[in-house]
Parts: sequence; C-alpha cells; structure tokens
Amino acid sequence: MHNFAFSRATSPADALARHAATPNATFIAGGTNLVDRMKSAIEAPAAVVDISRLEFRNIERLPGGSWRIGGLATNTAVADHPELRKEYPLLARAILSGASQQIRNVATVGGNLLQRTRCSYFTDPAFACNKRVPGSGCPAMTGFQRSHAIFGASDSCIAVHPSDMCVALAALDATVEVLGPKGERKIGFDEFHRLPGASPDRDTLLEPGEIITGVVLPPMPGAKTGVYLKLRDRASYSFALVSVASVLEISGGKIRAARVALGGVAHKPWRAGDAEKFLVGKSPTEAVFKQAADLAVRDAKPLPGNAFKVELARRAVKRGLTVSAAGGGVA
Amino acid sequence: MKGEVTGAAASRYEGRAKVTGAATYSAEFKFANLLYAAIVPSRIAKGKITNIDAGEVERMPGVVKVFTHLNLPKVYKPTNDFVTSKIYEERLPLSDAVVHYGGQIVAVVVADTFERARAGAAALKVTYAEEKPSVDSAKAEYKTAPGAFGEGPEFKTGQFQKGTFAEAAKAAPVKIEATYRTANELHAPMEPHAIIAEWADAESVTIHEHTQWVAGSQRAYSEMFGVATEKVRIISPYIGGGFGSKALPWPHAIACVAAARELKRPVKLVLSRRQMTANAGHRSETEQTVRLAAEADGKLVAIAHEGKCVTSPVEVFTENGTGVTPTMYAAPNLLTALDLAVQNVPTPTFMRAPGETPGMFALECAMDELALQLKMDPVKLRILNETKSHQRSGLPYSAKAFRECLETGAEKFGWAKRTQQTRSMTRDGLLVGWGMAASTFPGQRFGASAKVRLLPDGTAQVLTAANDMGTGAYTVVAITAAQSLGLPIEKIKVEFGDSRLPDGGLAGGSMMTATLAPAVVGACQKLLAQVKAENVEAALDILRKSGKAALEATDTAFPGEEGKKWHFQSWGAQFCEVTVDEAIGRVRVTRFVSVMNIGKVINPKTAASQVRGGVAMGLGAALMEEGAWDKSTGMPVVYDLAGYHFPTHADVPRVDVFFVGEPDLNFNPVGARGVGEIGITGVAAAVANAIYHATGKRLRDLPLTPDKLIGG
Repeated sequence: MHNFAFSRATSPADALARHAATPNATFIAGGTNLVDRMKSAIEAPAAVVDISRLEFRNIERLPGGSWRIGGLATNTAVADHPELRKEYPLLARAILSGASQQIRNVATVGGNLLQRTRCSYFTDPAFACNKRVPGSGCPAMTGFQRSHAIFGASDSCIAVHPSDMCVALAALDATVEVLGPKGERKIGFDEFHRLPGASPDRDTLLEPGEIITGVVLPPMPGAKTGVYLKLRDRASYSFALVSVASVLEISGGKIRAARVALGGVAHKPWRAGDAEKFLVGKSPTEAVFKQAADLAVRDAKPLPGNAFKVELARRAVKRGLTVSAAGGGVA
Repeated sequence: MKGEVTGAAASRYEGRAKVTGAATYSAEFKFANLLYAAIVPSRIAKGKITNIDAGEVERMPGVVKVFTHLNLPKVYKPTNDFVTSKIYEERLPLSDAVVHYGGQIVAVVVADTFERARAGAAALKVTYAEEKPSVDSAKAEYKTAPGAFGEGPEFKTGQFQKGTFAEAAKAAPVKIEATYRTANELHAPMEPHAIIAEWADAESVTIHEHTQWVAGSQRAYSEMFGVATEKVRIISPYIGGGFGSKALPWPHAIACVAAARELKRPVKLVLSRRQMTANAGHRSETEQTVRLAAEADGKLVAIAHEGKCVTSPVEVFTENGTGVTPTMYAAPNLLTALDLAVQNVPTPTFMRAPGETPGMFALECAMDELALQLKMDPVKLRILNETKSHQRSGLPYSAKAFRECLETGAEKFGWAKRTQQTRSMTRDGLLVGWGMAASTFPGQRFGASAKVRLLPDGTAQVLTAANDMGTGAYTVVAITAAQSLGLPIEKIKVEFGDSRLPDGGLAGGSMMTATLAPAVVGACQKLLAQVKAENVEAALDILRKSGKAALEATDTAFPGEEGKKWHFQSWGAQFCEVTVDEAIGRVRVTRFVSVMNIGKVINPKTAASQVRGGVAMGLGAALMEEGAWDKSTGMPVVYDLAGYHFPTHADVPRVDVFFVGEPDLNFNPVGARGVGEIGITGVAAAVANAIYHATGKRLRDLPLTPDKLIGG
C-alpha cells in the first residue's frame, strides 16, 4: 500500500518548510483533483501538506481598481462574489459551467489552475503516457482523440488543459502570484501554463515548493460585457469540447481592445492573438467577427479524431464575439 | 369487487428506508471476520498470461492470497440456460491463461482490508504474450447470428423472411433505404456491482448479492460450487439499479465465492466504477440498414431490416435489433437479418430493452424518412400500417391500443400545430423541431410464487424471493395484496430478496409485475377461501378465535395456454420537442410526451416513474452515451462517469406520461403487461426525427453530439 505523510501547515513559512522537508511532497487544498489522481495511482506523493487553512482566501479590491483573488478562495466564493460578477461576469459563468456545486464548494482557485488533464490515457496507468512517465509514449497519437488538442501540441503530448475558469482568466489578462522557497514572484497568465513540447510532464512554470497565493485581475472596462461560451456533449458536468472567453472594448463604433481565449483545444488556455490584433480598430460587424473567427483557427492542426473542433471553435469564437458586442450575457 | 386491482397511486413502499440510509445494499452487510477482494484487470486485450508473480504480492502486509488461473479452486460449468441457471460469461473466471478482452479478470487479490487488497492488486506483476486485438467494428468479420441472448436459434432471432422483398420493393413507387448506427452503451447503475460470500462450511454458503433473479442465482451458484440448491442462500433486499446488468453472476462474483470457500472466511468484492466498464456489461454497438417500400398512399409493401452487432470471444450475446420489426407494421414482404462479429471487447449483455432499443431507433427513423418522402404525417403513416397480428407467430395481439397511444400523444403534445416543412418552426432565435416515434416491448411472464400471512393484529405479510431494483415492485406487491385482501396498504409488509422465500421470479424482460402479481392475488384469495371467509374481517375473526399465530397461503402462478391464442405486446408513442442552436451545434430537448399501453397500471406513480426513467435513458442514447475502446490496444478509453456521459437533470425536460388502453386479461388475471423497458424504446428516434424537423439534417449515427450537428 502506498503510504504518505500528511501534515497541516500553520503558516506560509511552515508550509514551505514542510514541503522542503520531504522529497516528492505536494500541497493539498480542496483536493478535488489530487485525491482522484492518487486513488487512480497516477500520482504517489511521499508527503501531502495541507495548506487549506492558510490565509490566502480573501477577495479584495486593490488600489487602482484591480482585484486580487486569494489562491485558496473557493471556486464558489469567486463565482458568487457580487462585485466580481458585475465587473467580470464571464469569470463566474466559466466557473459555474465546470464541475458540480459540491466540487466547486471545496475546489480552490490555485487548485483549479493546477488541475491536470483528463486525457483518458493519462488517467489510466495501464496506458503509456509521456505526461505521466516521460518517454513512455503517447497512445493518444493514434487513439481516441475526441477531447484532444488542435493547437500547440507536440510529438510527445496532445492533451488539453481541462479548466473553464482558466480560459476566462486568460482572457482577463490575469497575473498569478506565487510564494516559494526563493520568495515571491508574479507570472503572467499566458505564461503560467506551458505547452507540452518535449516535457509534457510539466504543466506550468510553477517550481516545486511554490504556492499560488493569489490571482490578480486588472481593471478591464470591456469585461462587463465579456462572454464565456462552453460547448460540450451534455448540458452540465462535462468538460468542454471547445470553449471561448471573449472580451471586447467598443467605443465610437470601433473595437478598441479585444481578448479571445479558447478552452478545450490546447495544453493551456489558448489566446487567439491574431484574431485579437485583427479586431482592434474594426467595426463590430458580423463580417468582422467571421474573419476574426477564421483567424482564430487558422493555425489549428487537428488530428483525425478531433477535426470537428476546428469548425466548432470557429463558430464558438464568432458567437462569443457577437454576444460580447451585443452587450454580453448568456451566449 | 374483491381481488380487483384498481390502480391506486402509492408512494414507494421502501422510499423512506432508501432516503434515510436504512436500506441495506449488498456491500453494506457487516461481518466481523471479513476479507476484501480486489480484481486485477488485464492490461492487454488479447494474448496469454506468461507469468504472474503472486509470491511478491502475497508477502505484502495484510494480503492473504492471490488467486489466479493456476490456483482458483474448482468451479463447475453451470447448465447455463434460462430455465435452470445462467451466467453472463460462458467462460468461467480464471479458468486458463488466455486473455480475450481488455480488463478481463486475470487475478483476484484477497487481503484483510480494502486498501491492502487494492494495493496488492495494483502491485501484481503479470507478464503477457500480447497479440493484436480486434476491436474496430468497421473491420470485424460478421457471420449470421445464432439465437439472441446467447440462447439457441429457437429462443428469438433476428432472421426472418416472408414474401419476396426484392421483387416487391422493385415494383413499389415509394422507397427509402438508410443505414443507422448505435453506439456501445455502458452499464452504469448507481450501485456498483458488489458481493459478499460467506461459507458456513464447505457445503453451505450465504451470498449477499443484488440480483434481478434470486432463484436463478441460487441455482447457478449451487451448480458451480457443487452444493445442494437449498445450501445456497441468496440475500438481495435492495438493488441500486440493474437495467439487465444484475440478473446473473458475473466472473468477479464467481471468483469471490470460490475465494471465500477456500479461505473459510467471508469475502467481499466490489467493482470500482472503472472496473465496471469491462466486467459489468454493455450494450453492443449496432449498424442497421432499413429498406422500406410503400404504395403512393403510404401502405407498406416491403420491409427489410438488416443488422450487425458484436460480442466478446467468451459469450454469444446478440443485440437483436431486427427482431422487433415483424411486430410493428404490416407488410406482405418482410425480411430481417442479424449478423454477429466476435471481437476482443468485453462481454455485452442485456441493457434495458435489449434489441428493441437500437432496433426501434433504426425502424422509427426509417418510418419518419418514409413519411417525409410520402409527404404524409408520420403519425398517420403509423396508424395506416398498424398490424393486428404478429407477423411471425400470426397470432392476434391482445388488448392492443397502439392507435390510441399515437392519437393521445398527438393530442397531448399539440401535434396538429406542427408545420410539416423542416426548418419552419422557430423560437427565440432557435430552430424548433417536433418529432415522434413508436414504442414497443413484448408482454412476457414466467412462473412465480408468493406466500401471504395474515396476522392477528390485522396486518399481512407478503413473502417472496422477488426483488425491486428501484422499479417499484415492492409497492406494486403491497398494493396488489392490500386490494386483494381488502386491507389498507399500510397494513401490508413485503419481504423480498431472500432465496428461502418462495421463488419470486425474474425481474427482467419487464416481467416482474406480470409474473408476480397473479401469484400474490392467488395467495390472498386462497387465504380467504381456505377459512371460508367472505372478507378479511371475517378471516381475522376466525384467526383470532383459533389462537393461531397466522393464517397463511402460498400460490404459484404460471402462464397457461393463452400464448397459443394471443400475442402479448405493449405499445407506446413518444413525442419530443427539441430546440437547435444550429450555429454552435447545441441541441436541447425541451418537451416530451410519452403515452404507453401496458395493460393494467397497478401503480400510476411508479409506472410513470419507470417510463420517465426510460425516456431519460433514451435521451442518453440519443444524445451522449458512447463507450469506446482504444483501437490499437483494445483497452477501454471511456471508463468513468466524467467520460461516459449520461443525462444530467439539465438534459431532461419535463416528461409527461399517460397510460391508455384496457387491462390485458387474456395475459394474466391482473391484466398487467409490465412497464420496465418500453419507456426507452423509440426515444432516440423521436429525438433524431425532431432534429431533422428542426434542421433538415438527417442524423443516423448515435449519439447525436455537437460535432455531428455541425458536420457537413
């Protein structure tokens, strides 16, 4: 039986010390994904350090109009926050489109960022998997690819990041705040999650022993009409085939700023940079949104088993932009 | 009239016990000396085991023993038919070194705790000589299927011919031909498969295992372990959903009973959700081609329905999709055929309306396609082609109200307001589609016995080794006894699921109520008759004066000769509204009306609940359910409830259920034909037909996921 040491951290410094004390230690907060992985025998940490009682759970407005969401704030607390809902409604919509109420009640913001792919070759140790055992191979390359990537995949991994919330955070230009053995640092959201490259075992830039203490959302006037649209195989409780978070800032009949992020299509939330650049300065018309959507999927490299995602993503982007321009709400 | 069962709506007899946790399920029985077993699923889908390092695991803390094909104690092959006993997989577990499918049990590890058993199972090193498995049904070799359900050809088969299809079809003015596909569907009942076996000595065993067939399980285990039938006691008071997957012993259960005997301690084995993928059954995918030929007025002249399905190498199970076709619509020329391929997939089995569910998807979509070709209302087309007799047996249908189902459904749904043109109905910027399909399922019954005891306190007990898998059987029996005796339902106590009670029959083929209710009525009538009591009050007087503990009577009810005069079949109609957000491939089912003709409805509340459950399950098949195997390795790649999508509440609209028709008193004295399965039939076709009506796009390949909606 795989035994592991469990302890509860009493302060941030204590958490770092406990983590440093044991090789192959991991932090736990809500545990909604980590415990599943441990039960499925795809991860076997030697020590589990509980950080759920640490203070990083506040949601606060910062001077200058930014918001800081504590890394230990629950998904529910963020989704239910009245002011965040008003200023960044797509964030609540993204969160509420994922998991279940019970899971969201314990899952934390930091944990959501760090959840791992649900690729069925990764979650069953009977399969080879480069993400789980580097160098062992990737049967998904020739296998069941319905959920897999159309952007940014590598020869070693075609898995996708499963989060909804992160797609919204990517579109909102969030910054991840981290505390680790070497002190504090900030990581831009677009850099935080990695593409698989030759080392798909690493999902993020987080170093061992680092804790996500918060996520900062910059003020973003267009976010009030931002949209999160999730397309999936059933109405609730399933991962995205494709999702899109879109934010448009429109004044004087022109698009002043545009942010488009896609979910379910890559190893990280995928920013559609070309589409964003194209949109700036244009009028918010159907023809423009169609061109932007075409640009958003132009560089897609679909697999035989997920070619449909390109068209689905194109349509999702167009819909997301259209609804954003029309004042936001449910797409 | 005393003895008449009038159809009073009653809440679930066992509802309170279930919601308060008082109901004890198979895995929850407590034993002081319990051992825990965990299966080791094979990591290849075809090949041979060349080595198992059991010694290393047996040295792990708490591990008691590792059972493999080298050391599992003797298990005998059972008779393996539906009369005596039956097991799901003809090959006995751990009987040799051959691996036939991914996830097959290659060892069972027994330990003193669940965690240690599971750790031992995970640590067991099994070496294989792997061969290339065949799991891609597109590349399978198909042959003419033998009989359905692993029985001989006499049981029920998909092959049939009358008239000459080819010539008749050639001459007909209106024709359609289309090929439909249904997906592999996994059994995913809420309660995972579980068993606890406890041997009192080497000849006597008590088995706590959910079973849809208490007496059948008892006989199967007694044969397999070479002990007298009465030395096997099956205890199964509650079943957390069965749907066909808990009727017979699975390999894990047989291995658990064998392990318990060898170790002389009670052993519990519970499959994990993931292990259920390969060890608890699924419905095989099918491919079906339907050809219909009609006169210009819509009258069918020829029907051909040809299907394909897949089974595992270790059981012949056919998903008999074409067997239903001679039941439905009159045509002088009829051809049905069914082919079966053997592939390295887990063993398929019965799943709610086996055969009818995929078969009615294809046939009822084809009827919709024909109606369109004829520019005829699809409800009218069905009424026009109704058959009064079964086209294989030639026997007339008894108490058939199919037309009433269609007409009532149309009325309740508001079908007259439907515009026939596709893409013609919209709401809030969405396309709206209205579709319908027929439902059907045979009325079948077996034999069953029930004992009724009247007690001096004015209560009565009904004792029978029947079971309730969530269907409402407890409640139906309580109502039946209450009305037969003339007592309030609160005065009735029902005991199920113990093989020491009289054989209560099989809860399969929608037969439980039809089989059991006549025995309950008979026992109640006998009880009153034997003391010459006019009513229950008189019987109680006699009982109280007698000083006896109880009056009791047992009755056994079997079908008689009625099956030689009549064909018994239930009927229904499904009406469905969908909205389609075409640009993003999003379908929502927004309204559903289901009208059923099942003979007597003993309890409208639980019967309607059965139909609603069938509709929900049908929506799953229509829109989202799909099991899959990796085409290279043959291993399951959809193996948990995150990946295997079935409907959430958000996917299921209000479902209005209506019952029509008369009690079928030719069938049994109660007139009830059963309601367990019919509700799922026709649902997927109604959805696909509604999507067609909304979009003009004919989708024939289940499940109808967003990629298919946006596909070219």
